[in-house]
Amino acid sequence: MVAIEQRTSGRASAREVAVWDPLVRLIHWSLALTILLNGAIVEEESKAHEWIGYIALGLVALRLIWALIGPKHARFSAFPPSPARAFRHLRAMVGGEKTVHLSHNPLGALMVYNIWASVIAVGVTGYMMTTITFFGVEWVEEAHEVIFGWLLISVALHVAGVAFDTWWSGVNLVRAMINGRKTIPEGREVQ
Amino acid sequence: MKLGFWPAKTKERRATVLAGLILLQGLSALFFVGDVFFDFQDDGHLDNPHLLLESIAAVALIAGVIFLMIELRRLLSRMSDMQTGLDIAHGHMATIVEEFFDEWNLTRAEKDVAIMILKGLDNDAIARVRNTASGTVRAQATSIYAKSQSDGRAQFISLFVEELIAGNERLRTGAEYGPENEVITDHSPDRNLCKEKT
Repeated sequence: MVAIEQRTSGRASAREVAVWDPLVRLIHWSLALTILLNGAIVEEESKAHEWIGYIALGLVALRLIWALIGPKHARFSAFPPSPARAFRHLRAMVGGEKTVHLSHNPLGALMVYNIWASVIAVGVTGYMMTTITFFGVEWVEEAHEVIFGWLLISVALHVAGVAFDTWWSGVNLVRAMINGRKTIPEGREVQ
Repeated sequence: MKLGFWPAKTKERRATVLAGLILLQGLSALFFVGDVFFDFQDDGHLDNPHLLLESIAAVALIAGVIFLMIELRRLLSRMSDMQTGLDIAHGHMATIVEEFFDEWNLTRAEKDVAIMILKGLDNDAIARVRNTASGTVRAQATSIYAKSQSDGRAQFISLFVEELIAGNERLRTGAEYGPENEVITDHSPDRNLCKEKT
């Protein structure tokens, strides 16, 4: 499909490619909402906090299943967790290359896995705090808070990365996560 | 080119609704799985009817979610195929128009006028856009019809419509039997056919 898009790209000044399906978008913004709610709005140690945590875990679980059976751009194979690729991408960027990635770019892919892993870790330690075995155990509580802190840092980096890539590659990534389409500037190489 | 008969918007709405359902049903499924798990931990055996029913509900919900996911993927791939077809048609039409113009040896000005004729502008409108007298445009149009061997505006436009309809036919069979590249390359013999007609 990409081949044909590239062939027609010479004619169109800029073209739109549908990349994020509605399920990916819904899960993304729902997950962002749960992190916001549990981090800033809902009181800790409340029932609501627990439930929102479980919902966040459920969202990540659904996304992982979707990454196995979903469409092309949503799959693991579209954004393999590869530090080597991320490094190559970084070097290419330093060299001034502005390739557009239809799915996550290699650096973004690492961030995606990092955020999912952090959410799972926060969720699991949070659940452990409600069990009799681990209730009041200090290291569990500490881990829960430290990992949540890491999650917040990651989210901040994620937002900064999105802002940077939008400026660098000229593809508005926030809009792509809202309406699902990336608008690719003319004559840009696509991966 | 507006092809209004593609119900793209409806399909998109359908995909969004499907995604919303998957989200809600998926979360419910996980809730049931969790509930069964904890009840089982408390109770220790599966023979009580409450737990049995709950397990069945959990399995059914999970199966439903997977089914909906597959359905959504199919819908999305149909939408993407349709878009690819449209892209090919759009891009291809532009190539064909250019090639026809070249073959008829239209001058630069005549090409501009010809494109505007194809877009449905009348001579007065074209004259206004190009900032010339409408007599000039009429002369250019006459020259275009002569070079393309058509006897007027309607027949001139129909040359391209014919190619578009034939092109769609080919796209459909090409998409079914061959890889995508062949869809593009196997156009040449048919186009020669068309040149003979003109």
